[in-house]
Amino acid sequence: MASRTEIKPGQALPTVTKKITTASILQFESCGVLQKENIHNNPELAKKRLGTTYAIASGRMSITFAAEIMRKFFGPDVFNHTGTVNLKFLKPVKDGDTITVTGAVSGTEDVDGESHVSVDLFCENQDGDRTAVGIGTAVIK
Amino acid sequence: MADSPLKLFVYDDVVIGEELGSYEYILTQEMVDNFRASVEDPDASFPTLGVKHDATAFAMVYDDQIGTVNAGNQVEFFNPPIVGKKINVTGRISDKYLRRDKPYIVLEATAVDEDGRMLEKLSTYQLKKPDELGKKWHPEQK
Repeated sequence: MASRTEIKPGQALPTVTKKITTASILQFESCGVLQKENIHNNPELAKKRLGTTYAIASGRMSITFAAEIMRKFFGPDVFNHTGTVNLKFLKPVKDGDTITVTGAVSGTEDVDGESHVSVDLFCENQDGDRTAVGIGTAVIK
Repeated sequence: MADSPLKLFVYDDVVIGEELGSYEYILTQEMVDNFRASVEDPDASFPTLGVKHDATAFAMVYDDQIGTVNAGNQVEFFNPPIVGKKINVTGRISDKYLRRDKPYIVLEATAVDEDGRMLEKLSTYQLKKPDELGKKWHPEQK
């Protein structure tokens, strides 16, 4: 993990690559406390509501992937207590896709003895299409 | 709130700041294991993301016949949840707006455990006209 003195703008975060399958989408959907049919676990409902021929992965899976690279970069002691992730979803993620999540430090600011670090975050599929973009932040004391 | 009859969701009737109430659940090891397996991250610290706190709060109040597409999420992490602890979630509709003539609502949920530890604050930007997004993704299906 990166220490405060090492973090510089442009520095890359660890990359993760995730294979998305129907099984992983359904397993993610089963994590809730309220089991309901939705566009993630029911292709027919996705077709009715979105016009797609497939169910789409929850955007929260991409949030989790982005949180993973943030945690690996800052360390859990920092990220799990000060971190944020903010993603905008651009394209659907579905069974068979491979999503690669990357990030780079966009800026640092010293505030009251703490280092506030901002990161640009990107999710891309196997075709190079961006499926989500956003920012993450963490505070190093 | 889970015992109350669901209200039919009507976009025009939604009021910014509307409270969605609260609910509780106990985080189990099975939930953690299931979540970590689904995202292929054995150290994933916030299985609460899989519970979809804000969307669950909404679904416990509203019968949504329109459906939704998640346009974005914003999450603040404060403390990882602990297995066996009761988690209390409070939800509300924090915003509502039109963008390019498309209706959006913003759901917000705050999660605190039984010891009063703040866990996470989650917001979701929901497009309440999902067919429009489907057309954008697949213009050939218009």
